Amino acid sequence: MSGNHDAAESGPAARVKALEQLLTKKGLVDSETIDKLADTYERKVGPRNGARIVARAWTDAAYKKRLLANATAAAAEMGFSGPEGGHLVAVENTDRVHNLIVCTLCSCYPWTVLGLPPVWYKSFAYRSRAVSDPRGVMRDFGLTLPDNVEVRVWDSSAEIRYIVLPKRPPQSEAMSESELADLVTRDAMVGVAEVAPPSKTVSRRARA
Amino acid sequence: MSRLEELIAVARLDPDRVFSAPWEARAFAIAVRLSEAGVFSWDEFRAHLIEEVGESDRARTASGTAGDAGEHYYEHFLHALERLLEAKGVVT
Repeated sequence: MSGNHDAAESGPAARVKALEQLLTKKGLVDSETIDKLADTYERKVGPRNGARIVARAWTDAAYKKRLLANATAAAAEMGFSGPEGGHLVAVENTDRVHNLIVCTLCSCYPWTVLGLPPVWYKSFAYRSRAVSDPRGVMRDFGLTLPDNVEVRVWDSSAEIRYIVLPKRPPQSEAMSESELADLVTRDAMVGVAEVAPPSKTVSRRARA
Repeated sequence: MSRLEELIAVARLDPDRVFSAPWEARAFAIAVRLSEAGVFSWDEFRAHLIEEVGESDRARTASGTAGDAGEHYYEHFLHALERLLEAKGVVT
């Protein structure tokens, strides 16, 4: 790696470029594959897969049972499996229990169903408070739960990644599975929000 | 406004954004590709990432002013990747 000691080459963009060139020379990567992977994770893998799983669980009782028993298999059944390994576990929100997901050590997150995590998920502010003050964290997101709801916090790891199965919102009885999927947000599947009733989410659906 | 609230506000401006610069996406893609190719396992990479993030957290706790690992995440990610590849003897 000539030029490695050049001060101008010490920024992260230059380091990535130098690393990619070296790995290409060694035959370990090629730029076409890297282009494709980068594009996939930047644009194509998002929370939509998770939203489809949630909507199906809301409308198909047998699927919901399979999802809660083995979410890895239930996701694979819909064609969603990915490179991050480990088991996917779905935790269900009810009138009595609300679930919240964090990775206190780094950033474990179910990419396959939720895409890559947002900055706040990786932040010290979120990771350090989600376990000690989950209700305070949820209030920062604008979610205040009644005192009689039990809050369960799930710390993700390399072995287990979680997805929250949110509560189906009121006034959604007549909606189809795909319309329901449009209501489901990433934040709801992490547990920092609830799924809003249809009337309130019209403006958000366009970006799904 | 808490630190977390600031980050939430930023995320709401552009909820679909997962990388803040092209190099972040490339560093991520390189790590995924090398793990797929068996150069290292994702668990090995994760162990290095945890170390990097942990160092950042400790520095932040100690000084109260250091940057948050959330915003500097891919710098930690890149450093973890470089260190792992050095440990594996892939780069020197």
